[in-house]
Amino acid sequence: MSAEVNPDLIVDLKKFGVKSASACFNCGNCTAICSLSSESTPFPRKVIRYLQLGLKDKLMESPEPWLCYYCGDCSETCPRQADPGEVMMGLRRYLTSMYDWTGISRLFYTSTVFEVFSILLVAALVGLGFYTFHGPMLTDRVALNVFAPNTTIEILDLIMLGVLSFLLLTNAYRMFRAVMGDPAQYPELTPFEKQQFQNRIIRGIPAPLFISEAKEFVVHFLTQKKFIACGTASQRMQWFNHLLIMTGYSTVFLLVVVGLRWFQRDEIYALWHPVRLLGYYATFAILYGTTIAIVGRIKRSKTVYAHSHSSDWAFLVLLWLTTFSGILIHGTRMLEMPLTTYYLYVIHLMIAVPMLVIEVPFAKWTHQLYRPLIVYLMNVKKRAMARA
Amino acid sequence: MTAEPSESTTEEKKVGVYICHCGGNISDHVDVDQLAKNVAGIEGVTVTHTNMFMCSDPGQELIQADIKSGKINRAVVASCAPSLHELTFRSAIKRANMNPYLYEHANIREQVSWVHHGDTATAKATHLVAAAIAKAKNLLPLEPIRVDAVGHVTVIGGGVAGMRAALDLSRRGIRVALVEKTAFLGGNTARLDRLVPTNDTGENVVRTLGDAVIADPGITVYGCAQIVGYEGYVGNFKLTLAQSTLKCSTISHEAGDWVSNTGLYVGEAGKDGQWVVESGAIVFATGFTPYRPREGEYGYLNVPEVVTLPDFIQEMAQLPAGGRPLTIGGRTIRRVAFIHCVGSRQIPGIHEPGGDGKLNEYCSRTCCSAILQAAVQIRTRYPETRVFEYYRDIRTYGRGQEDYYDRASDQNVLFFRYEPESPPLVERIERRPYPLRVRVKDTLTFGEELTAEVDLVVLGVGMQAHPIGDLVDMMKLPTGMDGFLQEVHPKLRPVEIANNGILLAGACQAPMDISEACNAAQAAAAKAATLLIKGHVELDPYVAQVDGSRCTGHGRCVEVCPVEGAVRMAAGKASVNPALCTGCGICVGECPEQAIDVNGWTLKQYEEMVDAILAA
Repeated sequence: MSAEVNPDLIVDLKKFGVKSASACFNCGNCTAICSLSSESTPFPRKVIRYLQLGLKDKLMESPEPWLCYYCGDCSETCPRQADPGEVMMGLRRYLTSMYDWTGISRLFYTSTVFEVFSILLVAALVGLGFYTFHGPMLTDRVALNVFAPNTTIEILDLIMLGVLSFLLLTNAYRMFRAVMGDPAQYPELTPFEKQQFQNRIIRGIPAPLFISEAKEFVVHFLTQKKFIACGTASQRMQWFNHLLIMTGYSTVFLLVVVGLRWFQRDEIYALWHPVRLLGYYATFAILYGTTIAIVGRIKRSKTVYAHSHSSDWAFLVLLWLTTFSGILIHGTRMLEMPLTTYYLYVIHLMIAVPMLVIEVPFAKWTHQLYRPLIVYLMNVKKRAMARA
Repeated sequence: MTAEPSESTTEEKKVGVYICHCGGNISDHVDVDQLAKNVAGIEGVTVTHTNMFMCSDPGQELIQADIKSGKINRAVVASCAPSLHELTFRSAIKRANMNPYLYEHANIREQVSWVHHGDTATAKATHLVAAAIAKAKNLLPLEPIRVDAVGHVTVIGGGVAGMRAALDLSRRGIRVALVEKTAFLGGNTARLDRLVPTNDTGENVVRTLGDAVIADPGITVYGCAQIVGYEGYVGNFKLTLAQSTLKCSTISHEAGDWVSNTGLYVGEAGKDGQWVVESGAIVFATGFTPYRPREGEYGYLNVPEVVTLPDFIQEMAQLPAGGRPLTIGGRTIRRVAFIHCVGSRQIPGIHEPGGDGKLNEYCSRTCCSAILQAAVQIRTRYPETRVFEYYRDIRTYGRGQEDYYDRASDQNVLFFRYEPESPPLVERIERRPYPLRVRVKDTLTFGEELTAEVDLVVLGVGMQAHPIGDLVDMMKLPTGMDGFLQEVHPKLRPVEIANNGILLAGACQAPMDISEACNAAQAAAAKAATLLIKGHVELDPYVAQVDGSRCTGHGRCVEVCPVEGAVRMAAGKASVNPALCTGCGICVGECPEQAIDVNGWTLKQYEEMVDAILAA
């Protein structure tokens, strides 16, 4: 079977931040230096070659971009300044847009105008919603749950969660189908296995394999332990910083989306209260992590920070501002400044909601699901192939 | 111009033997003191010396002192290979007013100390030095052969190399006949557009040289001319030129007119007819011919959308500046595929030999840069046109040439790499939008098969030696397996050919680019000038000589002599022309009367050497 070359793809990918892939002469130094590349999933060279050739289907089926944590070794080793690390980053953006069936991701990544417009639009809708439907603004005390009752917000949260989950999971399903490839490639079931699995087969793979490997998904979701394998001390710092942002974000996401009734309270918890402690942890972790990343990107202090796509800035800045505005709300509540608190609350949500709506199913936050999912699926695939 | 050895057989033979340590190169394995003792007793040896470096000034002075004090009248130096220092010692002897041919060299480094160790080394060295002493005792003083030289050079071929050589020679005051087969100067360069790496035009280069050539009173240009007769030897060649202006120039131009894609018109410099030109040396600048693919090779001739690189360059050159998109033959070219190594680096068993049954196993060297240059030009002038390159290896070896690869790669030229046994396959497809499909097993993509649809396939054809079989036969010129003229030594004598007085300039010798061809042309011109500038040529005296008293005139020597005219019969006896004789010695072996011998390597000398080796 031969693949048809499409020289236009590499031009298209420029908008996703792939600028230097044409300089690659396929020597393979990048793959040799990479501490995460393996024989079954070698990278970055292979996908860069597919990209040069414009083999869209092959790229869609490639799990490799999600196995790369961008330590930058390859870019530093590359004799052609093709910047393979950044190419992988651009490929992740491109793949995110390819998995997304709505087309929003593509628009978000390829058009700065759309990026800014969509964020402003969602922010405006949130603002407008509060302007129209907010509750009484008591000024004798800070009564956030009167201004915006947590029961109502919780319902809205859950609706948002449902919609975002639907979008993200359908996109993830498209990714799953692509990376698992043709069901016919997997070894056929023996008569015994057929009886054993009672035809519980998912895309050529016995369903129990998906269950027995599920632990992997959880472990990688929580630890990103592949990232640690990147190697040097500075890269371990990178992992730690990343873990701070991830755990901080996840904590606060849970608090806000499913735990709002405990998180958004008008009384101030005691200092040792678990919810307050979790809130502090999340605030510190995100603020510290994003500040380091923002400063790094401004200074271009290391290879991984050398190139910044507009979506990278959008992500960091929105996350930082969300956290910062959250701190201000906390402050004004303690200082008992009701009106300021209400306004800040609206501003806070006008930053947080667009971030979640855009980033979770269509942009950078997708990788929180895609990365552990790929590691997990590759384990499943390896076991399915090894069955013969 | 004879080389009669002066008879001095009566004089007493006093041989000095000088043994070199070569720093340890020799003395680490050969016991040089023992060697000196071993040979000191041989009859006729009057002096033995050892020295750390015989080739050093003190070493040479040792020999000169012994000559001046009358201790020796023959010298043997046992040291490295004669190719390295024989000339050094001969010169030293000559400076001490002794005939430099009364010298014999024994190689005890390459042939002894580097390959043998211990006693066997010393024993072998003793044999070799004893043989050298035996020969030295039988040496006769010789004089170099001196022939008068005509201060005129014939340059064959009016391309850049020929023009460059002609100009250089003329500027040294040597008259030049520049013989060009066509009516135009410029050769293959005239058919090029932009040149690597200067981005200069072929036209500009040809006109710069051509205008100077035409204006130079010391250079006579013979357009539409060929060499049809050849005789003589270095310093005194006689070439018969045949000029036929009617045959080759049907369109009338003024001399000095530029004709696009053809060259600089040379006008009616000569006249129709034949005449003889006397030259002291000949410079070959016959250049190359682009490889012409076989019918069906990558679809060539069967598929109109498959063209060669030279043809494509000419098409591109004729396009109006600023015109877009790239349109050739009325078709818009959206995608071009270049295939490298067409007709170059051919492999037995994989490639089909050409009409002469030969494979072009060499790399043509210029095609990679030429293709990349064309690719960059397309991407720059017609950014909508996509370029694919199919290569085996990219060899952009010259200064500034790798830049073309970088630029092509920056401009999204897509490269594929194929193995010689599975070259790209060009197919015609009827369905639109593209007329051709190129299929390749791409080693850059892990051997996966890839197809690309294109509008045009351009074959990066290599260079072949220009067909000059008539001249090769006429002048008995050595050619390599590749059909190109072959130099004496690729490093040490790169522009000389075994035929004395004939020099090589440019791509007649091997594939080269314009810079290299001009390099070679200037080297050949310098070499020709040093040869002729004194008005005479000195040649080694190692040529055949007939003993008239023994020769019975049966003429076997004439029959076997490989060089036309080197030995002929005159008044019933054989007679050698020392200017033509190469000293090969074939005649010596053939003569039943032992009436012919090679000076400096006589049968008597050999016999004495053999006896000495057996006795040592």
